[in-house]
Amino acid sequence: MKRWSPSYPLAFIIALIAVMPVLVLMVLAADSPQLFDSRNLHSLTNTLALMVFTAGGAVLIGVPLALLTAYVRLPWGKFWLVLLAAPLAIPSYIGAFTLYAAFGPGGEIEQLTGLTTPSFDGLFGSSVVMALYTYPFVMLTVRASLLSLDASLVYAARTLGMSLLSSLWTVVLPRITNGIAAGALLAAMYALSDFGTPAILRLDTFTRMIYVEYNSFGLSQAAMLSLQLLVIVGLILFLESRVKGTHERPGKSLTLWPGRLRTSMMLLACMPVIALSILLPLAVFGIWLWREGTGSFELVYAWNSAYAALFAAIATVLFALPVAQAAISGKFGRLLERVSYLGFGVPGIVMGTALVYVGLQLSMLYQTLALLVLAYVMRFLPLAVGSIRSTSERLDPSLVKAARLLGASRKEAFRRITLPLSIRGIVAGAALVFLEVMRELPATLILSPLDFETLATYLWRVYEAGYFGQAAIPGLLLVVISGLALAVMFFGERWNQTDVIEEEPSLS
Amino acid sequence: MQRRTFIQSLAALAAAGALPLNISQVLADPANAVSVEALPRLEGELTLYLGRGEGGLYENVIKAIEDRNPDLKLRIRRGPTASLTNAILAEAKAGVRRADLFWAVDSGAVGMVTAAGLAQALPAELTGQLRDEFRFPDWAPITGRIRTIPFNTERLTADKIPNDIMALPDTDYSVGWAPAYAAFQSFVTGMRILEGDKVTAEWLTAMNRKAKKFAGELGVVMAVERGEVDIGLANHYYTLRLKAGKPDANVDLAFTNNDAGCLVNASGILALKEGELPANFIRYLLTKEVQSYLAEEACEIPLVNGVLPPEGLPRLKTINPPQIDLTRLADLRPTIDLMRDVGVL
Repeated sequence: MKRWSPSYPLAFIIALIAVMPVLVLMVLAADSPQLFDSRNLHSLTNTLALMVFTAGGAVLIGVPLALLTAYVRLPWGKFWLVLLAAPLAIPSYIGAFTLYAAFGPGGEIEQLTGLTTPSFDGLFGSSVVMALYTYPFVMLTVRASLLSLDASLVYAARTLGMSLLSSLWTVVLPRITNGIAAGALLAAMYALSDFGTPAILRLDTFTRMIYVEYNSFGLSQAAMLSLQLLVIVGLILFLESRVKGTHERPGKSLTLWPGRLRTSMMLLACMPVIALSILLPLAVFGIWLWREGTGSFELVYAWNSAYAALFAAIATVLFALPVAQAAISGKFGRLLERVSYLGFGVPGIVMGTALVYVGLQLSMLYQTLALLVLAYVMRFLPLAVGSIRSTSERLDPSLVKAARLLGASRKEAFRRITLPLSIRGIVAGAALVFLEVMRELPATLILSPLDFETLATYLWRVYEAGYFGQAAIPGLLLVVISGLALAVMFFGERWNQTDVIEEEPSLS
Repeated sequence: MQRRTFIQSLAALAAAGALPLNISQVLADPANAVSVEALPRLEGELTLYLGRGEGGLYENVIKAIEDRNPDLKLRIRRGPTASLTNAILAEAKAGVRRADLFWAVDSGAVGMVTAAGLAQALPAELTGQLRDEFRFPDWAPITGRIRTIPFNTERLTADKIPNDIMALPDTDYSVGWAPAYAAFQSFVTGMRILEGDKVTAEWLTAMNRKAKKFAGELGVVMAVERGEVDIGLANHYYTLRLKAGKPDANVDLAFTNNDAGCLVNASGILALKEGELPANFIRYLLTKEVQSYLAEEACEIPLVNGVLPPEGLPRLKTINPPQIDLTRLADLRPTIDLMRDVGVL
């Protein structure tokens, strides 16, 4: 009697759109003279190691921070949440470059304090930087999952004498594995496809091969290598799909009210992360700004960044909803969802060119804001799909069935049950897309309307030319604007959730 | 001696730099570059694909041109040169043309577009303003960059560095280089043309033992300055700019003689649309005002007759770069394969 979910046709079309750039790559790669070069194996090993360490590091940082921001009542809670998510708006090559410049013999830290610090490079350095700039993937997806967990199981465990930490470990963690996996998947794919960070920190990765080919005008070869990278992407997509979540009813989530001392200790523990990922880059650029003076920065760049990112976040979430819905409706939907992830594992510069080919098919729209937003959707759909899916798939389907039984139409059940219960996942997804769009570069450079300068493109311009001081102001603005936008989004999240929670007692 | 003329011209340049620009112009070559005063006004719409972000300097040039020509509506797309090249080729394939002009960071990219037959021929008297070795029918080099050997001044002096790039493997200095960087690959292409593939492969193999890899040549120069390596292989302007921001930096430049080690490469512009306007825009870039501005502020080497090179760099006459047709540097594929074969890439 199993019927096809009504979300399938829509999800199918969206998945097709998302996979289009990958199809373009296949066409481009058809000209490639070489299928596989065994000399790439060394780079491949490094890439795999970087991927594993990045995902591991992102989980190690992201999960505790998710617990902190979801459950602990912090003074200025939203401020901390926003600040901790902000590294996602900073391009990781900027982070890598400033860390590299700050540490090591002759680095900025030694010049300022006289203390010699160890150099920051290689596999270790790259993994740390990547983990620092990808942990918000994990933090935001896990936080969304945590907030929709019913706390009563934890209370039961505590009542039966289990300590708080071990109840978090044994009662909470196993129920959010799919959130962790979704975040780790994104971090791993980011590590696979990033070029700047390993290049600056001198780690020989697969993306470097691709970059070399691309820059020496071997586009077909670069496309071929990118497709080879997709084999790994396919593998991790498969592994992640094996992670099974639990189905459960939502409830009031856990809230912890630690004492002032403990709160300060916890916030203090976050400091190294904030210091390394946000304060240090801004400080290093600040030093250079002070040395070199400012350049020609215009505030309109910030405005451009903000509204492009906002449109992209809204559009991506709208596109992601049917795909996420399809993913939890059955096997075929799951496949569609997996397919839509592929593009995220392709290095940005190659993806940018593939999107140019896709965009040129709609030559009326080529280099308009509409097409740019569509390009962002194609590129970042998985971010939204992942976090929406991981929140909504844990929802007990019987709630929807109950609603239908009580006479609600499919639409009404979605609007009144599914949507409010997955709003946290939606907000988290929108936030991820927003942040990622703020720092996106290759597609923005080519596909944006003419004279459309954003913070990321301006940062790139001055960085590329070696005028680093001028990167301080756009860098700071990236953090501030992302912060403001996230604050608004998370405010919306709270406004929506009251509805559910207040009705909760009458439900039970 | 080569080294002495270099020092002398440096001193002379420092003195000349103190004078107002027009006086130092007079002191320069007898052949004078065209002034913007002599050029026609630009009117109409132009779209420029600008192959790199020059931290506001190309921007300033473009802004100055716009200010002079209020009836010119100039629209700019900035991006990495390779991305813009691929975009132009993709656009041509789809029958869409957005760019009227393409200003590329290296001659390799120019070679790709000219080879696809997309570049328009330029008037002979326009290209005739350039030095002989930089005249091409369908594109115009704007500024040059020369291959140099930045060295750490706390450890070395210029006379300790061989003036033959091929002798570098015989020294015991540690070297920083950036094999993935386009400028370095052009340098290897130059070496292939001058010395042949076999010698180049041997040189790369020998150097690879003592070289430390960096992502870009700014990284190389910074590492030399920090003392992480003794010497580096890099385009000249990274060192000059580093010193401009940090005058006491422990880095200085050495030059080799008539080999790939002092190859001059160029950024160039080409017109994708026929007509007066694109060509006239290019004329503005070849004026003495623009050329000397780029030389002074961006530390790039002017290629038009009669404009002085940036301070801290010897004139193209006193150093002795090899004679290589720049469009031959577009032949990158064999270079990439060679570098890969010897394990450098």
